[in-house]
Amino acid sequence: MSLARRLRTERAQAILFVAPAVMVLVAVALVPILAALWLSFHRSILLFGERAFVGLDNYALLLRDTRFHAALLRTLYFAAVAVTIELLLALPIALLLHRAMPGRGFLRAAVLIPWAIPTVVSARIWGWLFNPDYGLLPRLLPASDVNWLGTPGYALHAAIVVDVWKTTPFVALLLLAGLQGIPEDLYRAARVDGAGRWTLLTRITLPLLMPAILLALLFRTLDALRVFDAIWVLTEGGPANTTETLSVYAYKTLLRAGNFGYGSAQSVVTFLVVMAVGVIYLRVLGAGREG
Amino acid sequence: MRNLTRLGRVLAVAALLTFLLGPFLWQGLTSLTPEAELGGRGWPSHLTWRAWAGALAREDFLWSLFNSLVVAAATTCLCLLCGAPAAFALARLPVPGRGLLLGGALAVSMFPPIAVVSPLYLVLQQMGLLDTRAGLVLPYATFALPLTLWLLTSFFRQIPSELYRAARVDGCTPFQAFRWVLLPVSGPGLATTALLVFVFAWNEFLFALSFIHSPGRRTVPVAISLFAAEHAEPWAEIAAASVIATLPLLVLTVLFQRRIVAGLTAGAVKA
Amino acid sequence: MRQPAAPASSASNPRAAGPGGPVWSRLQSCASRALRHQLLRLLLSAALAVAGLEACRRRAPDDADPPAKEAGGDVRVVLAMQPLWGPAEPFRSLLREFERAHPGVAVEVRTLPNASDLTYQAFLTAFGGGAREPDVFVLDVVWLAGFARAGWLESLGDDTLLRGTFLPSAVDAAVWQARTWAIPWFVDVGLLYRRTDLVPDAPATFAELEDSARAAMATRPGLQGFLWQGRQYEGLTCNALEAIWGHGGEGGAPGRLTLNSPEAIAGLTWLRHTVASGLSPPSTTSAAEEEARRGFQQGGAVFMRNWPYAWAQLQAEGSPVRGKVGVSALPTLSGAPGHGALGGWLLGLNPRSLQERREASRALLAHLTSKEAAVVLAVHYARLPAREDAYSDPRVTGAVPFLASLKPLVSAARARPVTPYYSLLADAVQGSFSSAVTGVAAPREALDEGQRLADALMGAPP
Repeated sequence: MSLARRLRTERAQAILFVAPAVMVLVAVALVPILAALWLSFHRSILLFGERAFVGLDNYALLLRDTRFHAALLRTLYFAAVAVTIELLLALPIALLLHRAMPGRGFLRAAVLIPWAIPTVVSARIWGWLFNPDYGLLPRLLPASDVNWLGTPGYALHAAIVVDVWKTTPFVALLLLAGLQGIPEDLYRAARVDGAGRWTLLTRITLPLLMPAILLALLFRTLDALRVFDAIWVLTEGGPANTTETLSVYAYKTLLRAGNFGYGSAQSVVTFLVVMAVGVIYLRVLGAGREG
Repeated sequence: MRNLTRLGRVLAVAALLTFLLGPFLWQGLTSLTPEAELGGRGWPSHLTWRAWAGALAREDFLWSLFNSLVVAAATTCLCLLCGAPAAFALARLPVPGRGLLLGGALAVSMFPPIAVVSPLYLVLQQMGLLDTRAGLVLPYATFALPLTLWLLTSFFRQIPSELYRAARVDGCTPFQAFRWVLLPVSGPGLATTALLVFVFAWNEFLFALSFIHSPGRRTVPVAISLFAAEHAEPWAEIAAASVIATLPLLVLTVLFQRRIVAGLTAGAVKA
Repeated sequence: MRQPAAPASSASNPRAAGPGGPVWSRLQSCASRALRHQLLRLLLSAALAVAGLEACRRRAPDDADPPAKEAGGDVRVVLAMQPLWGPAEPFRSLLREFERAHPGVAVEVRTLPNASDLTYQAFLTAFGGGAREPDVFVLDVVWLAGFARAGWLESLGDDTLLRGTFLPSAVDAAVWQARTWAIPWFVDVGLLYRRTDLVPDAPATFAELEDSARAAMATRPGLQGFLWQGRQYEGLTCNALEAIWGHGGEGGAPGRLTLNSPEAIAGLTWLRHTVASGLSPPSTTSAAEEEARRGFQQGGAVFMRNWPYAWAQLQAEGSPVRGKVGVSALPTLSGAPGHGALGGWLLGLNPRSLQERREASRALLAHLTSKEAAVVLAVHYARLPAREDAYSDPRVTGAVPFLASLKPLVSAARARPVTPYYSLLADAVQGSFSSAVTGVAAPREALDEGQRLADALMGAPP
């Protein structure tokens, strides 16, 4: 078979391979997303049966909406802090789980527990933990007359703690899977050459783990920018809207106020922000591939 | 020196376990605390199984465990069935518009789910899938597909290209190479992805709440949220129910963690 | 993705040895592999089975047009409500009684989440999509005007329909633009609970409340003064409105919300004062009903503002405060009895219901809001009746005397502003109340901001 013909067959086969996934994505995801986009160009308040095309008015409103700006900044802060802490915690955890030791299987299963519990439940647990009257945490933390969930400024950080607790296992799992892909021979060869533990870590582990780290970063950041469940159960966006992230604001606009047009516009802008962050990550990923 | 690092490791494990399991164990304790003592300071005077009995007596909750299992399993199967071949193709075959596909899939996963609930409700209504478990599996699989594609593509790329090329040289079609050579060695990737998708589908709340209203078809997160009365919340029962709800995931994790651990098959490349 | 620098390691992989030694690992590998394969097969077949089931079961017409008649020829009426919590039998026999009186009609109950928000969301999605079911459904008192405006409720008559039969505040909540849109099913009212062993007489003014609370707190260290709901949610709106009404506020012209009146500022100042001065614990700013109830039930507070539901648990076996709790109206500035916020649920009809079901739906609505039904709900499910006549029924006064005794308090309850903009406003209002209560902004500034937002949302005043 000539090279060109082989390529053509491979191409045809490739399309077959990819077809089911594409069909599912287009049928179930694309249509609602386009519908949401279409809605964002209308003034649509469900309760009043209003449905008027207003072009870019909603977006102009967003530009002036200080509450939206605050939510945007807050969300970026939340994502940045949460993902950083998760990564810093997950790496040692993954390294720990990678070693052969007694009870490792159990440990691995145990590590995944926080992430396996439904978010609505785990947020409730942490709500009780943070309670100044009978929660565990105020008893352990010194000088805590502060009601974490009821004090502006503290509440967002409480939410960060919950998010870190919940998703560090996910990042650890991804990093662990990445660690599995690093061949043992490399370590053996390096140790024969007399490399110490730190050198092993920085010269072999980290560089080869980069793809996994960046993948974990990518998906975690995308998720953190759209955080909803945990914050909703913990504080519903309070106190005084200080834990209101983009998704919480969009939820209130869409499903409380029934303001579908404006809420859809908010979602589209959230999507654009998330996409921008994603593109930046991909650039770095691509650069990582080169280097 | 060795003992010190050993000690350090033990301490690290202990700290890790405390942080990760502490809240869960505290919740288990809450589920065993008598109702009158909930919310008080200090340890409970005695333990009682009443909350567990209460949670297990709820037929709706037991059914929800079954529903969640079915929905999550179906979602995982669908994701892997669609995603694995696609990921393989994206990793090894010349797919036209590969960047567009991966980027588009990523874009789908980036869109806030809340904005999509209402249009999706209408789509499912048109398809007659409202209030059905299948009607839940489709959106779940769709929103889990991007992660599946990206993860599996990365895993397939990590498998050395020699394996694939050798298979092709031996006369396999791309599909045969995929099915008989690459799939068996991609255990860790498949297991990791399967676990992630399963947990995602198990814990998803918004769609499950919006698209299903028959009590007999609800999934676990929604069922647990229904334990609450208008003002009163049976904390102990909710705690018990959430412990029960976590058990299937634990079982799955223990079963699959060896797969995740296993290295590449012996002798595949050297032979 | 970067390829590993060397071809993948093949033979020995020490990591695969597993924990705890060779025997254990062999066992585990055998068991788990076999188990895993079985599990996978099971899951796969389960998934296919489900898919097959659903495919067969899919109705040919879509959800928007459910069949009017069941196979047996019965007209089906769908009732959407929240679980009542309590013995299943009394309510079931209430429905069976209806079915006996109306042969050929079958009632199907669909349960909704108890959380008001979740039910609202479910309705928004369903009715926004033009659903023809449910035929009869519950709605929160604050949703009435919005649903009516959206065309999701069928008008039942003019505004005199319910007067005299139902409590005046409940009727206020059911009427909008001179028409009645739903029938009150059961109600709720904000009450002041107190520890009778610490404060024998109910306080009439805010000052009295504070003084008696502080006197009791001085005798017992660790005791809290006044527990209420300060978390940013609808409960905060209730507490805030009660405080505003207690300082003489009315709420503004019908349908409009005046947030920055002097009375409102005074009310929010009082609430902020309770937290800032230590009368209420710091946890108040994130407390909902249950947090307050549990704190009070543990004997940790002198006063509590909560709904009637708390009474049953406070007086239950094993409760530390059993027999030491009294209930009264909320305090006011002047000393006259305060108005609690009206809560509760109404029953309404879906105007898009199928024609064949309309008559049966109306009949069901009448049956569920009859005196008999109100008594059943009160006696077995501790629901405060919305009907006046249920309070004097001997079964109610005999079995649930506490509920019967609440009649004067619930008659004095006040409905939150009845406006189709309520859901739209609730959010802005909660934000500004929370700002005031947590001290982020002074009450005046917070309320000014809230008023500005409210005006922007509702458009300029007429």
